[in-house]
Amino acid sequence: MSPKSPRRPRRKRDERGGRRVSKKPCYFCVEKIDYVDYKDVALLRKFMSDRAKIRSSRVTGTCVQHQRKVARAIKNARELALLPYINR
Amino acid sequence: MRAYELMTIFRPEMAENEVRNEVTTIEQALAAGGATVKETDFWGKRRFAYEIDHLHEGWYALVTFDAEAGAVDDVDRALSLSDNVVRHKFIRPE
Repeated sequence: MSPKSPRRPRRKRDERGGRRVSKKPCYFCVEKIDYVDYKDVALLRKFMSDRAKIRSSRVTGTCVQHQRKVARAIKNARELALLPYINR
Repeated sequence: MRAYELMTIFRPEMAENEVRNEVTTIEQALAAGGATVKETDFWGKRRFAYEIDHLHEGWYALVTFDAEAGAVDDVDRALSLSDNVVRHKFIRPE
């Protein structure tokens, strides 16, 4: 695991309607990961909800290019029963 | 040449050496089709994330190789027909 990035200064959320002002950085761009491996179940789980749904990039901050790769990797992993389709 | 990964899941009731034999057979079949096998990773027995054909676990094996496009068709068919294979999938890592 990478060391935790330093916490950014917290802005006043109330004034912005509770929305985040600066966008969360893409994990894969920060870590310079080019290929998202479908075998890395622990990593992919971070981008899934506890219901085993793929988390949207709005939630995770993943960039468009990497979100596609993450989604593809999760779907590949699901076919091989490495990850569940649903979690009740 | 294209890089491929072949993940194969075998039935859990097989013995480990049986599975290893199967994997070497796959390697030979791939090599016969003009592929160059780079690496074989034997994962061992692993629980499934969900039930497949009333099974809850299986033997996982991963073969990394280079092959020409279409060279995997024969192996693909053979694996689909095999009774020992629960599931298999060719993946092209970019």
